[in-house]
Amino acid sequence: MAESATPVAPPETEKKEKTDPKELRDRGYLVICWNDPVNLMDYVTHVFQSVFGWPKAKARRHMLQVHENGKSLLVRETFEKAEHYVHQLQGYGLNATLERDE
Amino acid sequence: MRLIRSQKPDSAGKPPSVFRLSPREKVVLLATLKLYPQLDLGYHQLSRDPKSSKPAQQEWLKEAMEQQRQEHKKRLAQFFSNDRRFFNEAEEDLLLTLTGEQMEWLLRVLNEIRVGSWVRLGSPELETVRKLKPTVAQARLLTAMELSGYFESALLEAFS
Repeated sequence: MAESATPVAPPETEKKEKTDPKELRDRGYLVICWNDPVNLMDYVTHVFQSVFGWPKAKARRHMLQVHENGKSLLVRETFEKAEHYVHQLQGYGLNATLERDE
Repeated sequence: MRLIRSQKPDSAGKPPSVFRLSPREKVVLLATLKLYPQLDLGYHQLSRDPKSSKPAQQEWLKEAMEQQRQEHKKRLAQFFSNDRRFFNEAEEDLLLTLTGEQMEWLLRVLNEIRVGSWVRLGSPELETVRKLKPTVAQARLLTAMELSGYFESALLEAFS
């Protein structure tokens, strides 16, 4: 699962990558949200805002990627952080998974 | 159910949002919430690629969802037993008053009912659903799906 269907904005922690090479190496997990026909578009946008603290425009952009492309790569993280996000997103009922970036 | 007063939710100390609904809508809302939970815990998958996670990590996700479910059920029981705390009479209608945190919780519960009903229907495309000549059981699931979506939309208005 090396690439996403669509480009995403860099994660908020990008600055950390430059100062912490180990974390950069470890951040090999992608959090992906998959499309389904049942979650409301406004709900998905709201969840992205709540879980990631994103502004509405960014959350909506990712929601539209999910809707139009079938999936959106939300963040690239360490396993622990990716797992945390997947737990949160699934707690909201979204179809989200983590995949190793190979 | 419609929003009549909204403050930006989730900010501590801000006044709650208020929704106006008819007594019948209240009955329907409570009946819909009583359908919780709908999703089988096996629905939650940590990864689509078996190499990306271990069975223990998948099990942990299941446990986390089960724990969340128990918390939602406990809170729902409190909501049902003390609904006068949330609903106030206003002429012929009712006013439902919710904090941002309560709306967030209600949204999650309603969405679980919506997604769970859809999964129980066989996860169909919505175009397929509309062409269904449903059995009684399918009609119940479809109704639950539509009603939870209706109440979700009303709540989401307060966040927009």
